[in-house]
Amino acid sequence: MSAGLSQDRIKHAFLWPAFLLVLAISLFPLIYALIVSFQSVRLVPPLPPRFVGFDNYAEILQSARFWGSMRVTATITLASVALQYVLGFALALALHHNVPGASLYRVTFLLPMFLAPVGVALIARMIFHPFLGPVNDLFTTLGFGHVEFLTRAGPAIAVLVTIEVWQWTPFVTLLMLAGLQSLPHEVFEAAKVDDISPWRRFWDITFPMLLPLSVAVVFIRLVEGFKVIDTVFVLTGGGPGTATETLTLFAYNEGFKKFNLGMTSALSFTFLFVVIVFGTIYLALAQRLVRRVT
Amino acid sequence: MTEGSGFRRAGLLLAFLWFVLSIFPIYFVFVTAFKPPLAVSRGPTYIPWVDFQPTLQAFRDAFAGLRGDFRGPVVSSVLVSLTATALSVLLGTMAAYALVRFTFRIRLLAGLLFAVIAIGGFVLLNGIWGMRVPYALALVLVVALAVSVWANSLRLPGPVLGNNDVTFWFVSQRIFPPIVSAFALFLLYSEIGRIGPRLLDSFPGLVLAYTAFGLPFAVWLMRDFLSSVPVEVEEAALVDDIGRFRIFFGIVLPMAVPGLIATSMIVLAFIWNEFLFALLLTTGRWQTLPVLLAGQQSSRGDEWWAISVAALISIAPMVVVATILGRMMRSGLLSGSIK
Repeated sequence: MSAGLSQDRIKHAFLWPAFLLVLAISLFPLIYALIVSFQSVRLVPPLPPRFVGFDNYAEILQSARFWGSMRVTATITLASVALQYVLGFALALALHHNVPGASLYRVTFLLPMFLAPVGVALIARMIFHPFLGPVNDLFTTLGFGHVEFLTRAGPAIAVLVTIEVWQWTPFVTLLMLAGLQSLPHEVFEAAKVDDISPWRRFWDITFPMLLPLSVAVVFIRLVEGFKVIDTVFVLTGGGPGTATETLTLFAYNEGFKKFNLGMTSALSFTFLFVVIVFGTIYLALAQRLVRRVT
Repeated sequence: MTEGSGFRRAGLLLAFLWFVLSIFPIYFVFVTAFKPPLAVSRGPTYIPWVDFQPTLQAFRDAFAGLRGDFRGPVVSSVLVSLTATALSVLLGTMAAYALVRFTFRIRLLAGLLFAVIAIGGFVLLNGIWGMRVPYALALVLVVALAVSVWANSLRLPGPVLGNNDVTFWFVSQRIFPPIVSAFALFLLYSEIGRIGPRLLDSFPGLVLAYTAFGLPFAVWLMRDFLSSVPVEVEEAALVDDIGRFRIFFGIVLPMAVPGLIATSMIVLAFIWNEFLFALLLTTGRWQTLPVLLAGQQSSRGDEWWAISVAALISIAPMVVVATILGRMMRSGLLSGSIK
C-alpha cells in the first residue's frame, strides 16, 4: 500500500458512519445506564430517581439469587462448551478425512446454528415433554421410567446443556474444519512415512498446531454461552423456582417484572465486569498454555 | 491405509449419529405441523399416513389469523431484518474497506479523553444541572468527539492504536453481554420518547438497534473478503482520477460479491433470530417472530400443531440461508475468516 493512499482524507467518509452508529447505539446508552445503576429508580410506584451510591451493587452481591444465577450460567456454559469442543473437533476430523457423504453432512451440520434459539427451545419442549415427547417414548421403550425433564432442576439444566450442544457444536466443527484444511500437508506426509500411529499424529502434530485456533473458538463460545436467555426463557422460564435462572434472565426479571431499573442496570454492569474478569483470566491462562505446547 | 481404519469407522459412526441427531428435531417439528390434534394428544407419532392422517388445518388457522395475529410479526420481522441487514452490510463494508486500504492512527490518550469528557460531561449536565437525558447525551457526544478528534492531531505521548485495534473495537461489541446494551437502549429510547420521536416499538428504533448489532459481524467478515480483492485495478482507476466512492461502488463491490452474499446471510441470520433486543424494544405493533414464538408456549399450552407452524415459519428462511452457505463453504470461501 503506498503512502499516498493512506493520507487520503476520504477514508474518514468510509469509516465514520459505521463508527458513529456503533458508538451512538451500542456504547453511548451505557453511560446513561451506568449512572442509573447508582440510583434507585422504580417505575412502579413511580418515584423520582435517588442517588444511592453502591447500594444496588452491595445488594446484588448479598443476594442468594444472584449467586444462584451465576452458578446456573457457569454450569450451563462450561458443560456445554466442553462438550461442544470435543464433539465439534471430532466431527471436524471425521469430515476432514472425507467420510462417505461428507458433502451432505456439511449442510445438515450447519443448519442448527442458523435456527432461532427460541424456536429450538419450543421444539425441545415438545421433544422432552413428560408424556407426549419422543425422548420419553424412547425411554419407555428401553425400559426406563418417565423423566419429568423440565420441572426438576437437574434434568432441566441437562436439557439446556443438550440444546446448547445441539445448536453450537456445528460452529466448532465449522471453524476447526477450516483450521484442519489450512494445515500444511508435508508434516503429515513425513509422519506417515515415519510410521507414526494416527493417535500419536493427532496429539503430537494436529492438536498443538490447532491450539491457538482452539483457544479462540472456545473463547467465542464461552462469551456467547454466557449470554444465554432465549432458550431458558421459553423452556423453563427460570424454574422450577429460580433453579435454572441465568444471569441475563435474572437481570431481565428485575427490570421488567419488578420494574427496578437501577437494579437491572447495576446487574448488567456486574455481569459485564464478570465477563471481562473471566475473559482476561482465560486469555492469560490460554496464552501460557499455547506457549508451553508450541 | 489399514492402520487408520478403526478411526475411520469411528468417525463415520460419529458423523452419522450426529446427522440423525441434527435432523430428527427438525423432522419432528415439520411433521407435527401437519398433525391433527388427536395425533398429538395420544402420545408421540412420527410417520405421516402411517401414524396419522396429515392435515393443513394448522396452516389455514395460522394464516386466517384465527389464533392471534400472525402476519404482523412475520411482516415486521421481514421488514426489520432485511433493512437492518442491508444497512449494516453496506456500512460495515465501507468501514472494512477503509480499514483494508487506509491506515488509521488513534492515540490512546485521545480515546481516554473521549471517555472522560463523555462520562464526566453527562454527570455534570444531567445529574447536577438536570438537563434531559437525550439532550445531555447528544451534547456530550458532539463535544467529546470534537475534542478528541482535535486531541488526536496533537503529538500526545502514549501508545498509538492502529487498524487492527479499530477492528477489535468493532468486534469487542460482541463480548458485551447484550442485556447491558439492550437495557441501556431501552432506557434511552423511553427517555427520547418523552421529548419527541417514538423509538420504542417502532420501525426506526428497531432498525437502528439491529444495524448496530449486525455491524461487528459485517466489519469483521468483510475485512477478510476485501483484503483478498487485488488492489491493482483500483490503483489504475485512481491514476485516471476516478473518485473513491465510484471506485468503491463500481469496482470493489462487484469484485466482492461472493463475500457480500456470505456476510449478508450470516448477518441476516443473527438479526432474524435475535430475541433479547426485540423483547425489550417492542411491545406490540413491531413485535418480531422470536418474541411471538416465545409467547407461544404460554398462550398455546399443548397445541403443538400451531406451535410447530410458528416454529416452521421462523425456520424455513434459515434453511435456505444454511444451504447457500453450505455450498459456499465447500468452495473454501469461508476459510479465510478464521484468522
